[in-house]
Amino acid sequence: MHPKLVEFLAGCRDEAPLQLGVVPFGMLYGIGAIQAGMPAWLAQLASAVVFAGAAQLVIVQMLAVGAGALPIGLTSGLLNLRHMLYSMSIAEHVRHLPRRWRLLLAYLLTDEAYAVAILRYQVTPPPDDRPDLRHWYFLGCGFTLWLTWQLSTAAGLLFGASVPAGWDIDFAVPLTFIALLAMLMKERAGQAAALVAALAALAFAALPYKLGLVVAIVLGLVAGVWASRRREVAR
Amino acid sequence: MSTAALLALLVVIGLVTFVYRYAMIGLFANRSLPGWLHALCRHIAPASFAALTAGELFIHGGEVVLALAAPKPWAALVAALVAWRTGNVLATIGAGMAALYVFKWLF
Repeated sequence: MHPKLVEFLAGCRDEAPLQLGVVPFGMLYGIGAIQAGMPAWLAQLASAVVFAGAAQLVIVQMLAVGAGALPIGLTSGLLNLRHMLYSMSIAEHVRHLPRRWRLLLAYLLTDEAYAVAILRYQVTPPPDDRPDLRHWYFLGCGFTLWLTWQLSTAAGLLFGASVPAGWDIDFAVPLTFIALLAMLMKERAGQAAALVAALAALAFAALPYKLGLVVAIVLGLVAGVWASRRREVAR
Repeated sequence: MSTAALLALLVVIGLVTFVYRYAMIGLFANRSLPGWLHALCRHIAPASFAALTAGELFIHGGEVVLALAAPKPWAALVAALVAWRTGNVLATIGAGMAALYVFKWLF
């Protein structure tokens, strides 16, 4: 087998276990999109164009409560900022590649692909005697996740269209946020950010187009940064 | 929102997300991000999820509604307890949905 293919398949193989966690999210997004009134083709297209699970779930939830374009855009713009951190972290490993490679790998740079690929870069040193093919490994990770995301979105769209509205299956989206919050709130700073954001969301509920949500998130950010600063000072 | 407007919005969000992803690999390949941005990124997810959840549970038609006989907040409380005890997303969704059906039947 060609060494490039070996690297690619190794990436696919190491990314595979993470798909267990990705499939329910993709399906949930598809179901939520249908219940929020999104056309199926558009929901599927979003999985290819946006290709960011948390942001897509947030978009669906905001559409469901009738939010306007500006708050949805601002919230997803904030939520996806973390990809810049991944981009910076992985930059030194892909900087030498031709631009078409960098464009492709940037498109595939998601939480789950980053997590697996960066391990390969940090744990396995570049080989001395032959060319560094680790970008093929990264491509394997990214491609596996991309394929799972598209297929699970499609499965969710098909399933969501057959579930009656009375089942309240769209309630699974906020339930997912609750599950993620429980993990994120193990840190004191995460608690401050979440608590302030939740209270502020209620305090600014009357703002039009659900702009109150954006105000709440920004206030939560301020509270989180302030709480972690205070902790550092206290130390 | 019309389908065309939503399509445009999604394309813009997709482009912005791609720019984030490509930023340090291609656009500013030799720079590093300021420390405050690192600090900020850690809080974005908890703040967003909390604001959205609070909105879903307690805001109806632009007004805050705190009703004792509303099934969703109680179901969310059950889900939060399960999430806190198990740390498992699927268990949280399962418990929350089951609790919602029970509370809808009770109230």
